[in-house]
Amino acid sequence: MSRAEALAAVPAPRLLDSPWFLRLAAGAALLLAWELVVRGFAPGYVARPSGVARALWPVLSDAKFLAAAGATLGAVLAGLAISIVAGTAVGMLMGRARLVEAGLRYYVNSLFATPMVAILPFATLWFGYTGDARLAVVAFAAFFSITVNAADGARSVPREYLEVAGAFRATGWRTVLDVVLPASLPYLIAGVRLAAGRALVGAVVAEFFTSVPGLGYYILFNSRTFKHDEAFVAVVVLVVAGVTFEALLNWLARRYLPWARRS
Amino acid sequence: MILPGHRWQARAVALASLALGAALWELAGQRTADALWAPLSGTLARLWELAAGGVLAARAASSLTLFFSGFALAVAVGAPLGVLMARAARLRIAIEPYVMVLYATPMVALVPFILSMMGFGFAPKVLVVFLFAVFPVLYNTIEGARSVRPELVEVAQSFRSGEWALWRDVLIPYTLPYAMTGARLAIGRGLVGMVAAEFFLSPSGLGQEIMMGSQNFDTTLMLATLLVIVALGVALIDLGSALERRFSRWRGLDR
Repeated sequence: MSRAEALAAVPAPRLLDSPWFLRLAAGAALLLAWELVVRGFAPGYVARPSGVARALWPVLSDAKFLAAAGATLGAVLAGLAISIVAGTAVGMLMGRARLVEAGLRYYVNSLFATPMVAILPFATLWFGYTGDARLAVVAFAAFFSITVNAADGARSVPREYLEVAGAFRATGWRTVLDVVLPASLPYLIAGVRLAAGRALVGAVVAEFFTSVPGLGYYILFNSRTFKHDEAFVAVVVLVVAGVTFEALLNWLARRYLPWARRS
Repeated sequence: MILPGHRWQARAVALASLALGAALWELAGQRTADALWAPLSGTLARLWELAAGGVLAARAASSLTLFFSGFALAVAVGAPLGVLMARAARLRIAIEPYVMVLYATPMVALVPFILSMMGFGFAPKVLVVFLFAVFPVLYNTIEGARSVRPELVEVAQSFRSGEWALWRDVLIPYTLPYAMTGARLAIGRGLVGMVAAEFFLSPSGLGQEIMMGSQNFDTTLMLATLLVIVALGVALIDLGSALERRFSRWRGLDR
């Protein structure tokens, strides 16, 4: 058998085995199915991929829409920042000090289990129908998942690390900052990931409820006036924001915490 | 450095902190305007009144019916579809990224679309709870499906196992713990979906009660109902965690 013949005998990589081909094909099939179902069975105003694609540029270049997107995402980031700082502090304390844990456990666990939508009416009672109410709901939605995960992380710091810190006569503060905090970072990142999803939901429901300008209100307003294609562009922006944040956290974890691989 | 504390001390601190919380609640209620916060005593009296009148049971039953309809549908769709991915590797590779994207999507953004397309019935509300709950189940079950070891399937096949026996003895036992993790996460999300549906679609159940309270500045009604929602949330999430733990021991992670 000649060399050419031998090469020809090796089967070429088949298209069907290429993951990218499979993914693209599935994406195209899903979009096509959506388009056909809406065309065939739904009223004309219902969003469909071709309509959303047509609405994409006009909406994205509209200054009002950009302001709305900035307001919502800004509130999400601000709420997350507040929750990360406060939640990490409270979580570290709960994880390392038994009596703090005993004192706060019932409150943190039950508020963690509370659907954040249910506190919306209270937020509007205290903050009015304003952006502050939105920020409060976002921070409430995010704070408890970070606290719970930070406490889990602080609790599960290996005993040996603490013994070494103790043997070197590290003070309490240095132990927390140099040992406990870095060791619980993987848990914290998991908490932030969970919190980011909740924060987005919190911002959107707060806007539904308070009619404060933002992506949620944009969706509500346009779907009421049967401009579903335009409204769906806002959903796309929310999805992109959620996925980007998730990817960013994964990248951070891989880049800076390579020892904390997911099992 | 773990700040110590004996068991009895921890218990005393927990009790003291609950008592302090109750006292603060009561004081805050008496010092602030009625429209902002109500005292604990008034809230509990209102809760008792609602419970005695049967209103509470009816509202809670309506909310739970909605929650469990959507949740059951999410598990019934998400779990089998996820297990199927253990047998259809190409399909799994093809749709995994989309499931991930949908898992990260704030489903609440779809509520206005559902409202204007489906109106005010029970079905659109179930759809909302379903959408909130299905992707955690599907995503985690697919993760389980990915981890089914090919050797197990090969051994089963070399013993001429039929498709049904393969599912019963290998695939389902292997992916169930992952599906349970998904179900636990789905409970939390489903509860958010439940209240969101009751607020923004046709008002019903406990959500309607909170809305009525907020429209009439009736803070005792709002707080009493919120207490019930918190209690339901804690109970359901604890149930989910207990189930998950039960099955993760089976997976052998809980050693």
